[in-house]
Amino acid sequence: MPKALSTFLKEPVTEHIQLRDAEFEAIGVQLKEKVDKIFGRSLAIRELDAGSDNSVEIELNNLSTPYYDVERFGITFVASPRHADILIVTGAITLNMEIAAKKTYDAMPSPKFVIAVGDDACGCGIQNESYAVLGGADKIFNVDLKIPGNPPSPKEIIRGLLSLVCQIEKQSRV
Amino acid sequence: MKTAVKDEITKQLGQVDYVEGKNNELYVPIPEAELPKTIAALSNSNFELVSLFCAQNFKAEGFTLFYAFEKTGFEEILVLQCHLSGNEAPSIAKTYPSACWYEREVTDGFGVQFQGAFDTRRLFLHETYPADFHPLLKSFKNSKITTVPSNEDNAYQFKQVTGEGVYQIPVGPVHAGIIEPGHFRFSVIGETIFNLEVRLFYKHRGLEKLAEGKSVQDCVKIAESISGDETVANAVAYCIAAEKICDVEVPRRALQLRTVLLELERVYSHLGDLAGMCVDVAYPVGASPFFILREEIFRQNEALTGSRFMKGAVAVGGLTKDVPAESLKALSAYLEAFKGRFEEATHVNTSFFSVADRFETTGKVKPEIIEPLHLTGPVARAAGKAGDTRIDHPYGLYRELKVKAKTEQNGDVQARFNVKAKEVQCALKMIKTVLSQLEAGEVQAPIQVKDGYALSMTEAPRGQNIHWLRIKGGVVDRYKVRTASFCNWQAMEHAVPGNIVPDFPLINKSMNLSYAGTDM
Repeated sequence: MPKALSTFLKEPVTEHIQLRDAEFEAIGVQLKEKVDKIFGRSLAIRELDAGSDNSVEIELNNLSTPYYDVERFGITFVASPRHADILIVTGAITLNMEIAAKKTYDAMPSPKFVIAVGDDACGCGIQNESYAVLGGADKIFNVDLKIPGNPPSPKEIIRGLLSLVCQIEKQSRV
Repeated sequence: MKTAVKDEITKQLGQVDYVEGKNNELYVPIPEAELPKTIAALSNSNFELVSLFCAQNFKAEGFTLFYAFEKTGFEEILVLQCHLSGNEAPSIAKTYPSACWYEREVTDGFGVQFQGAFDTRRLFLHETYPADFHPLLKSFKNSKITTVPSNEDNAYQFKQVTGEGVYQIPVGPVHAGIIEPGHFRFSVIGETIFNLEVRLFYKHRGLEKLAEGKSVQDCVKIAESISGDETVANAVAYCIAAEKICDVEVPRRALQLRTVLLELERVYSHLGDLAGMCVDVAYPVGASPFFILREEIFRQNEALTGSRFMKGAVAVGGLTKDVPAESLKALSAYLEAFKGRFEEATHVNTSFFSVADRFETTGKVKPEIIEPLHLTGPVARAAGKAGDTRIDHPYGLYRELKVKAKTEQNGDVQARFNVKAKEVQCALKMIKTVLSQLEAGEVQAPIQVKDGYALSMTEAPRGQNIHWLRIKGGVVDRYKVRTASFCNWQAMEHAVPGNIVPDFPLINKSMNLSYAGTDM
């Protein structure tokens, strides 16, 4: 027992790693405030890859890694569209994904919002002229926000999220 | 060296004509009628099929098929070149099973029919594409098309497994996580997977057609968008092909910096896989250190090139711009601390019994499927095959860097974890070596575009990527890419049966194949 107590009182021995980026944190805190108010403390996002080159997926996944950890701000990436408030669409919509993309959106409860993330989803990527894609996400969805980039960084994505939430607050659509 | 492979071919095929390629390839024109005999002879002497593709109006009107082979011990790639009189060719899939997907791909793209093929379903063209549509025909000018609704007639036929207690689990194309789309059809008995059929190409973006008519320099962007996390590997492979065609000598400093970027890409890619495997056995303590290191590498990438994925860094002739000196210095300093932290992170996982319990014996790739399917990269090396494009077909600086292939024997998730961990260490060493010898000078050679064609290969983090480029009239006429994922997806169908359903995500993560890189 005494041993356990001394362990408890000792300075932690783990190395302190400077993980946090001040600007990212500031955006996160603002976002949390809005999410608390407008979305009842939890904003659920469903991701839909409709034909990206996979780099946007990597950045979206990075949002949940220790450096960013956006769940602190009330942001959750959910497994089912049934649980989602927001659909994040990446990639130009391929012909092969058109039906699955529409079904994913249809499965979401209203009110629902769509964000296009990355140049291809925003309709300004190099794939736009291909026979194999319909074009940007706005070809089949009513897009509420576009976050361009090849790919946009985690900071740009979270900044985009904040701007959408502010927009929703103004329109008081919820 | 070329004499040796010529002797070997002469031994198998008798006297044949050769055309020496621009990048250590040997093109051997074969009359249509002799194709089956030639394929049988090559198969008997252990030539491994590494790619099969088609080009239209190559030297003569009509279709030309290219069968690319490698053989252990030879640096050169043998490319059989078979001009077809019509739009039919004999299938070689019974001799070379990996040809199955290639042939289906050629049929979709060009409408060439393969006689005797055991699988004639469409591959990248799903139900939504009209039946007579072949996008890679020169007669089709890239434009939007009218799709067709799916119905019973054009529905994709999955293999049916029947019997008492057998049921199917269809998964995808949209998955539960932030993952690329693809469909998995499991046939399951109880909890054990009896059969898995993978259906991909949901992300088919028509990149090969998109490349046609592009200027040689502009096409780098298309190479980069094949698979975001293989940006550098594909950009470099494309550029090597273009540089060989245009007889460009890349400045040494650019070759050195390309090596740094290529290996950084391997490091961050493998770190993601190592972390992902821990996540999939619900061990975040093990995953977090890898995620932290990976993010730091992304930031190094950004400091070096302005892009976390190093997009826009590589150009035909070298690099688009030089790398800032202070970023190189910062990278050297950063790597000093990286090694110890990485070793600790690896140890956390390899020493924990419940991780080993899930990793060991799970998702075994058997050695006997490696060559027939041409499995490549860490998937093959973890099952005992000492192949690595950096060693077998050296490019850039790799001839002098003397890479050693990291292998394991068991072929399971643990073996893939170990191989990837060792390759991170090896990549770090290489980056340090190159940085210590970095030369001053230009990073971009001027290019004068010439017509011609060449094949090039790189060892991407996932394995061997092959690019074949033809420039005609100063622009890209045909650009064919076969990524490591295209081959390795077929390993999944063999490695998964016998495992339980909850182990599938783990097996999938341990291979970490690119959907985008396969679907093109």
